[in-house]
Amino acid sequence: MTTVATPARIVPSPPKPANPANRDRWAAAIMISPNLLLFTIFVGIPIIGAILLSFCHWNLTGLPAWAGLANYSELMHDPTAKTALVNTILFALFGVAPTVVLGLLIAVLINVPGRVVNVFRTLYYVPAVVSFAASAVLWQWIYHPSTGILDFFLSKVGVSGPQWLSDSSVALPALDVIGIWMSLPVSVLLYMAALQRIPESTLEAATLDGCGPVRRMVNIVWPGVRPMTILVAIVAFLAFTNGSFDLVNIMTQGGPVNATTTLIYYTYYQSIDNLNLGYGAALTVLQLLLIIVVIAGARGLQLLGARR
Amino acid sequence: MTAARMPRVATAAAAPRRKTSRKVIRRRLRVLAILLVGLVLAAPLLYLLSASLMNDAQLTRYPPSVFPSQLHFGNYSAAFDYLKARSILNSLIFTVGVVGVQWMLCVSGGLVVAKMRFRTRNLLTGAFGISLFVPAISTLIPTFVVADKLHLINTYPGLILPIAAQTGFGTLIFRQFIVNLPDALIEAARLDGAGWWIILRRIIIPLCRPASGAYIAISTLTAWNMYVWPLVATTNGSLAVLTLALAPLASSQYSTVPQTVGMAAAVITTVPMLIAFIVAQRAFVRGLAGTGLE
Repeated sequence: MTTVATPARIVPSPPKPANPANRDRWAAAIMISPNLLLFTIFVGIPIIGAILLSFCHWNLTGLPAWAGLANYSELMHDPTAKTALVNTILFALFGVAPTVVLGLLIAVLINVPGRVVNVFRTLYYVPAVVSFAASAVLWQWIYHPSTGILDFFLSKVGVSGPQWLSDSSVALPALDVIGIWMSLPVSVLLYMAALQRIPESTLEAATLDGCGPVRRMVNIVWPGVRPMTILVAIVAFLAFTNGSFDLVNIMTQGGPVNATTTLIYYTYYQSIDNLNLGYGAALTVLQLLLIIVVIAGARGLQLLGARR
Repeated sequence: MTAARMPRVATAAAAPRRKTSRKVIRRRLRVLAILLVGLVLAAPLLYLLSASLMNDAQLTRYPPSVFPSQLHFGNYSAAFDYLKARSILNSLIFTVGVVGVQWMLCVSGGLVVAKMRFRTRNLLTGAFGISLFVPAISTLIPTFVVADKLHLINTYPGLILPIAAQTGFGTLIFRQFIVNLPDALIEAARLDGAGWWIILRRIIIPLCRPASGAYIAISTLTAWNMYVWPLVATTNGSLAVLTLALAPLASSQYSTVPQTVGMAAAVITTVPMLIAFIVAQRAFVRGLAGTGLE
């Protein structure tokens, strides 16, 4: 093989590119062009459009009118926007933390070989396949105030359940439960993938050395899956911020009295229901900033962890 | 498996046998725990399945019942009539179109940003990355305006292309996988005179099979369950997908359709993905383990 390869090297490579770092530019341009063309038209331009729109007033008729920072100053004085921001943070916090912790615990629990376990494991993944529309049909009935099955089980143990979706103090946590239920499978799957890389022999050796489950978790499992935790948290965070729209829209439409109005739902309300497109775009920019700050923070934590 | 091991242990000393049987018991307890926790997590869906077979009187009765007293399969034929075969077909066309187009764009794009050398590579990778953080709702109206200008509203391409164009996630998944393949593989093929197209078809796509499995599973689920864009991009019912047909059933107060039929409709929309997911889950974990995603 080397005898074939060597002449190819020696024969002077005639059109030697000026810069080897730029060697494949033409081939790359051709191969990426379909991807980049569609991406630019349907993703890039709309993103830039949304940011520009936040500096305009527009209600879909005529052309957008330049408004400078008017939308942003409205944002500062809008109490609903403040409520929506607080709701978004609370919704994400009480959604992401359980998704990460339960995801890891469940992944460790079900990470055993065996045919029977393989079958049972499917139970853990099924919530992932349910659409928001289908799960809304289902959870409306679980949470139903008079005939719901949840209140029925609570009444069996002597607790009278609240009006889950119409009591402003429990509506947001009630939606969080649905969100956690829907996000857990992805979190479990990601942790399962990370656990595959911890050799079985290491765990067995630790067990033989008398390591209990807690010490194995702290000393072997956790260091092995720690890098994955950042990814799990980011994926869950995006699901509970950007992904919360369908859930809120189908289940509560932001009610009762804005108790479940998250930023993304309020964006929709302003843009689509009120046709206040400029203001909706400003709300989007606020959401984007929130996401970028949180993700940059998470990456920072990851780098810190890697250095140690 | 345990049965085969027991006799062998029995011939050995008594002490190890006690140890082994304790191990077996511990494993059985763990399997039992796995089953119980799994049942709790799947309970809402099992309840959905059960409720879809009740009649309306039983579903709304108090105290509620967990199992149907009689199996009402009629709910399913009523649900089929309500959802219409057309919306099932539309969901299939939409899902296959989105996943097929997006997969081709993402494998080739992944190769480009993983292994090809050109100056704007990092910029390009960054652009794909940033697009992941932008919520779909915020670009909904601008995307609609673009699609409208291109006369794509109320057409299948208009339904499919703007979603297939969301290549950020897939391109980065494949990049992550391809970056870990040895450079020598590609350099050797190049020295043999293979162009990048041949490298993509003969080397990258076959080696990317696990990553493709994971990616196709995720994007199929996303497309099948997608709601907002199909809602905005189609105004006539002949292009409506399943989620659009199902959504009105979720608001119990206004629906004239019996709730049990709504439940049956929810089961119908879920089952195809359930089957696909069970088939794909093994490949999925293996594929993710290979990407070194973190």
